[in-house]
Amino acid sequence: MATARHRSSALRRNILLFATAILVLVVWAFPIIWAVIVSLKSEKEVLAYPPRVIFEPTFQNYLDAIFGGLSIAPSLVTSLIIATATTVLTIIIAVPAAYTFARLDLRGKKWLGFYTLATQMVPPVGLVIPYFLILNKIGWLDSYQGMITVYLTFSLPFAIWLMVSYMEDIPREMEEAALLDRANRFETLWYVILPQVRGGIAVTVIFIFLNAWNEFLFAVQLGGNTVRPVTVAMYNFISVEQTLWAKLSAAALVAMLPTIIIGIVAQKWIVKGLTVGAIKGGGRL
Amino acid sequence: MFSKERNFALLLVSPGLLVLLITTTFPLVYLVWSSFQTINLGMPFLNGFAGLENYRQMLGDADFWFSLKLTGIYTFSTVFLQLVFGLGLALLVTQIPSGQWVFRIVAILPIVLAPVVVGLFWRTIMLAPEFGILDFVVRALGFGAVNWLGAPIPALVSVIVIHTWQWTPFAFLVLLASLAALPPDVYEAAKIDRANAFQRFFYITLPLIRTAVVIVIIMRSMIALSAFAAIFAATRGGPGTATEILNLYAYKTSFIELNFGYGSALAVALLVITLFVSGVLFHMRNARRG
Repeated sequence: MATARHRSSALRRNILLFATAILVLVVWAFPIIWAVIVSLKSEKEVLAYPPRVIFEPTFQNYLDAIFGGLSIAPSLVTSLIIATATTVLTIIIAVPAAYTFARLDLRGKKWLGFYTLATQMVPPVGLVIPYFLILNKIGWLDSYQGMITVYLTFSLPFAIWLMVSYMEDIPREMEEAALLDRANRFETLWYVILPQVRGGIAVTVIFIFLNAWNEFLFAVQLGGNTVRPVTVAMYNFISVEQTLWAKLSAAALVAMLPTIIIGIVAQKWIVKGLTVGAIKGGGRL
Repeated sequence: MFSKERNFALLLVSPGLLVLLITTTFPLVYLVWSSFQTINLGMPFLNGFAGLENYRQMLGDADFWFSLKLTGIYTFSTVFLQLVFGLGLALLVTQIPSGQWVFRIVAILPIVLAPVVVGLFWRTIMLAPEFGILDFVVRALGFGAVNWLGAPIPALVSVIVIHTWQWTPFAFLVLLASLAALPPDVYEAAKIDRANAFQRFFYITLPLIRTAVVIVIIMRSMIALSAFAAIFAATRGGPGTATEILNLYAYKTSFIELNFGYGSALAVALLVITLFVSGVLFHMRNARRG
């Protein structure tokens, strides 16, 4: 008797658990699924009331978003250039700096580490105002070099801190063995440390690329007609008179396709980066 | 040997520090300097040193105090909701014996979307009156018509919901990972001692994941304090100033009204608040540790 009652309450509990879980999945996935549905409708169909789930799907919006008069293709290229350049530059500068913070002896290291962490706390609005005035003065508004410089402000502190936490995990014995074999410090870094933190570098690359790709405030205010990242190009489909919902949805999905693919493929690494970052205190994502 | 190591350390770290100095510290110094100036691109003939005038104006500016209040409400409620939902879901999903990967995959989706895209999705296909699917569902369920982004209180609630929707997965994933790392034998012992679920949560789980919880609070507060794109895309701070948190107010003052001097002062206020909040939170973390 008692066990039967116990079993049925456990069953009820499991059903409740399952239902809640499904609900959560729906809530998180729904806006994206709905965007896919809308993107397959004609602009006329979008404004049908009540909204229809059964309709004749069309790929015209995707063709328009990529090849049409309001095409986001040039912006995709721009975003790719900026995000790639930011990522490469950041890694080149951040990895050696992280090695110093994690392993080497330097006067005032603690203070410098705190400084690096503090630069990460700066809200972007506090940077976009002076940058607008400065870049305006030196003629770097709407330029690649200007935009990449600005993107270093959020990528670099984050990358340094994430890399520090990966480097601290390497056992010291490995370096000591290398140094005993008369490898110099540089050789130790190159042949011993770097191969050990390949995974960490991959995580860092993913985070910087995603953040640079998704950035909007700097892009909209410091860019222009030459440098118009894809987040800004979403506004191609929004004007005072009307918003082209279906084309906007298609364009947004095209623009977000790289991040969604990276997110799904590298899901394990991203979660690891979030947790490592969480413990050391990094991460803008 | 030692001085050699120090030279090498300096060599490795100086490019990074130099770039940080130029790209973040110099603009911030410039920001503080411009906050003491009158810089109005609309009326350049008025430009010049203003002393503390911008700050004096700020103290008497009702819009500033209102935006500060909104920033407080926005930050507190989004962080609170993310933590409650994230922790609740993490606890729930740890109970599911298999298929947890489905949750991790789906949870990644909102995180990897650009906030501006999220804001635009919600403004159009989700919440737009009549044609937005969520608005349609709410009407169909008989709750009546709500102008989600067009009326002050619903708009504020909407931008809080949007932020919470996008970033709860972050709290969820971090807390799920830290729950997975807990030693199972503690629970076994607690079960033998007949501790009930609530006791197990408050006396065992929560103390063990406290560090992760505090870190989530710190990181999410920092992000909420610098939130911009999703609100900009969804409401532009409106209707009126109903969702104009300090970020958007400083932005609007600078780039719409072209009053860069006052905008700089507002941004300095935001900076001071952010550093103060992070200082308090970090202090809390360190104090609890010891």
